[in-house]
Amino acid sequence: MDAVHSPTAMLISNFVFPNDLHVHWSMMIVLYPYITGLVDGAFIIAALYYLFDVKSLKPVARFSLLFALAFLCCATLPLLLHLGRPERNFNMLLTPSPSSAMAGFGYIYAVSMGVLVFIVLFVYRPDLVELRATSKGWLQLLYRALTFDSIDLSKKALALDRKIIRFLVGIGIPIAVVLHGYVGFIFGGVKANPTWSTPLMPVIFLFSACVSGISAIILAYIVIRKVKGRSIDHACIKTCIKTLTLFFILAFTFEMLEVFSHSYLKSGYHHMVEGLLNGPLASSFWLWQVKICSVIPLFILGVMAMVTIKNYIYNFTAAVVSAILLLQVLIMRWNVVIGGQLMSKSARGYTQFHPEWFDKEGILAVIIVMTIPFIILFVLSKIFPFWAADSETNVK
Amino acid sequence: MDLSYRKRLFILLLSICLLAGGGLLFKKLLVPKSFGVYGPYRADAIAEAALVPVRHGTNNSCFKCHPYEAKIHKKGLHQTISCESCHGTYADHVAEGKKIGTLPVKKEKEITTLCLKCHNTEIKARSEEVIKTVAMPNHLKDQKVKLTHNCNQCHHVHAPLKYIIRAKQITGLMEAGS
Amino acid sequence: MKRRSFIKKVLNGTIAGSLYLVWPMGGEGIQIPEQIPGIMGKEYDILNQEFAFIVDVTRCIGCGSCCVADKREYNVPDGNYRTWVERYVKGFSDKIYVDSPNGGLDGYQHPRKDIDEKIRDTFFVPKLCNMCKEAPCVQVCPVGATFKSPDGFILVDEKRCVGCAYCLQACPYSARFLHPDKKVAQKCTWCYQRVRKGLLPACVQVCPTKARKFGSMKDETSEVYKILKGPGVLTVLKKEMGTFPALYYKGARREVI
Repeated sequence: MDAVHSPTAMLISNFVFPNDLHVHWSMMIVLYPYITGLVDGAFIIAALYYLFDVKSLKPVARFSLLFALAFLCCATLPLLLHLGRPERNFNMLLTPSPSSAMAGFGYIYAVSMGVLVFIVLFVYRPDLVELRATSKGWLQLLYRALTFDSIDLSKKALALDRKIIRFLVGIGIPIAVVLHGYVGFIFGGVKANPTWSTPLMPVIFLFSACVSGISAIILAYIVIRKVKGRSIDHACIKTCIKTLTLFFILAFTFEMLEVFSHSYLKSGYHHMVEGLLNGPLASSFWLWQVKICSVIPLFILGVMAMVTIKNYIYNFTAAVVSAILLLQVLIMRWNVVIGGQLMSKSARGYTQFHPEWFDKEGILAVIIVMTIPFIILFVLSKIFPFWAADSETNVK
Repeated sequence: MDLSYRKRLFILLLSICLLAGGGLLFKKLLVPKSFGVYGPYRADAIAEAALVPVRHGTNNSCFKCHPYEAKIHKKGLHQTISCESCHGTYADHVAEGKKIGTLPVKKEKEITTLCLKCHNTEIKARSEEVIKTVAMPNHLKDQKVKLTHNCNQCHHVHAPLKYIIRAKQITGLMEAGS
Repeated sequence: MKRRSFIKKVLNGTIAGSLYLVWPMGGEGIQIPEQIPGIMGKEYDILNQEFAFIVDVTRCIGCGSCCVADKREYNVPDGNYRTWVERYVKGFSDKIYVDSPNGGLDGYQHPRKDIDEKIRDTFFVPKLCNMCKEAPCVQVCPVGATFKSPDGFILVDEKRCVGCAYCLQACPYSARFLHPDKKVAQKCTWCYQRVRKGLLPACVQVCPTKARKFGSMKDETSEVYKILKGPGVLTVLKKEMGTFPALYYKGARREVI
C-alpha cells in the first residue's frame, strides 16, 4: 500500500475542475444512508422472528421494530438539512420525474413508514388493549386510537392479527430492501463518478445496512438490559451474532470485491480510484474501514463462532464487536459518499473536505440528528413496552 | 359503536385508501399548470429563461453613441474585440435608452497589463496564425524605446497599427493609402 | 402581425419590456444587425430549432474574455463557473499538466513555472455546458427542475429546484454549481435569453479570435452548419459517457477530458 504509484502519477497533475473544489454532498448525506441502513437491519431482525419463525429472536423482535420506527422517523431529517431549498421538499411528491432514481424517495418512504407503523400496532395490540384498561385520560384516548378502538382479544381476532402481521412483514421486506437498495442505487447510478457507478453499490449498501442494523440492535439490547439491571437472553444474542456474521462476511466480501475488480481490470478510471484509496482515503479506508473495523471484527466473530466462550464474555464481546461494526458502516458510508466526491471529474486531481462545526450540515447538526431517534425511542418506550412479558423473565 | 374487529379493520383499510386517493387528488391540484406541456417540467420555465435580462450588447450598440471610436475600431486589427471586454457591460452603462453609469477606461500600466493578457509570447499556447505576440521587455528594446513605455504610447488601443502605419507613410517606408 | 404580437408578448413582461427598448438603443428605428439570422422579430418556432456550439481549440488564446463576459452577464458568484478556460501543457514524457486558476477569469499572464521537462504541446480549452442530447442532469433531477427544452437547451427551473445537488454529481463535465445565495443549481445556458432575441451567447460575442462559434443548424448559411457538414474532425468531451453533446471541439487533443 505504497502511496507512490507511478501509473497514477502519470495521470495526476492535481487539476480539479473549478466547480469540483467544493464537496456538495457532505455529512448529512453520509448520515442518511446510515440511518436508513439501521432501519433496514433492525427490520431484518424483526422479519426473521415474525416471518421466518426464528424463535430465539423473540426478546429483541418487538424492540427492533420500535428501533426501526424511531430511526425511520428521522430518515428525512438529514435530507431536509441537506437540501438547498428544504421548503420545496414537497416538489418531490408533487412532480416526481419518471426518469430520476431520487424521485421515488417520497413514495418509498411514505409506504415503508405506513407499513412499519401498522406492523408495530398489530404486534403490540394485545399489550395496548391491556394498557388501555389500566390508563386514564389522554393516554387512554391514545390507546383507544392505537387499538382501533377495539378490545377484541378473542382467539379469532388474534389469529387475524397474526395473519396481518405476516402479510405486512412479508411486504415490508421488499419495501425495506427497496428503501435502502435505492439509496445505494442513487450512488451506483451516477455514471460520472467512477467510484460510485457500479451495480455492486446497492448490494454493498444493503448488506452493510443489515450489518449496522443488527449491530445496533445487539448493542442497544445489551446496554439497555444492563442499565436496567435485567438479564440478557444468551440464545438471542447468539442468533443475532450468527446473523450478523453472515451479513458482515457478505458485506465485506462485496466491498473488497469492488476494490479488487477495479485494481484487476485496470480499465478506464482505475488509476484515479487507486490514487484515491491510496491517497486522500489511505487512512480512512485502508486503516480504519478495512484493518481496524473489518479485519479485527471478522477475527473476533470467527473466534466467537468456533470457540466456546462463557456467556458473559460472549455477551461482552458481542457488544464490542457490534460497536466496532457500527463504526465500520459509518466509515464506509463516509468513504463512499465524501470519498467519492474527493475525486474531480477532471480525472486529474483530488479535492479536500473540511467538516465544519456549526454549519447546517456540520458536526453539531450531525450529533443532534443522531440524538433525536433516541429521544423518539424513549418516548415510544413510554407508550409501547420494549420487552415482551418482562415480568415473567428472570430478573437478575 | 359496536362493530366487530373485522369490520373496524375494514374501515381502517378503506380510510387508508381514501387518504391515499385524496393525497393524489391534492397532488393534481398543486402541480403547476404548465407542467407537462412539453415533458415532465414546467413549460413556463422556458419563457422565464427567455426573459432573463440581457446585459451585454453588441459593438454596434456602443458605436451608435460613440461614432469617433467606432470609426477607428472598425478599421483596425482589433475590430473583433468586443468593446465590453475592456470597458464593462452595456447594461451598467445604459438603461432604457439613458446613461446610468460611467464605464471605466483603462489607463497607463493597466493598459499594458490588459494588452499582455493576449499578446504575451511567454504563453506558448498562442498560435501565430491567430495572434501576434511579443516578449517584454525585449519588444521595447528592439523598438528602441524606453523600458517604461506603455503599449498605448505607440499602439492605438482600438487600432494597434494606426500610428505605426501612419509613421511609416510619413517616413516614406510605405505608400500612402496602402 | 406576427411581429406585433411578438413585441406585445415581450412588453408584457416588465423586465423584457425595458429590455426591448434598451436593446435597439439610441431611439426609434435603429436595429442592431441580428447575429443569429432568422430569429429577431420573427415568431420563434420552439419545436423546429437546433443549435450547435463549436469550440476551436486551435484559435483560443486564453485571454479570458469569455469568462469575464459570462461572469458579468450573470453576476456569477465568485468560486463558481458557468464557463472556464483550462490550460493544457504536455511534456515530452507524455505527462499532462492542466491548470485553470480562477477559471481563467484573470487570463493567463504567466507560463507555468513548476514544469521541469521540455514542453511538447500546449493549448487552451474553453469549457461550458455541453447541452447533451442525453443529459444525465436531466435524467437525475427528481423534480423536473432541470429539463431539456424542445429547442435543445438544458435549462434550470429556479422556481422548482430543491437544491439537492444530484445534477451536480451527475454532470460528467462539472458544468454545474449550486448558487450560494439562491441555493439552486445553475449552469451555462448558452445564453438562452440572448439566443431567443437573435443575439449570440455573450462568450461567443466577446471572443476576439472566433474560437467560440455558435449558430443554428437549421440555417444552412451558418458557420457551425458548414463546419459540421464539412470533413473536419470534430470531437466531443467524454464520449464514453454516452451523453451526445451538442458542444463540439475542433482541434482538441485526445488528452482533453
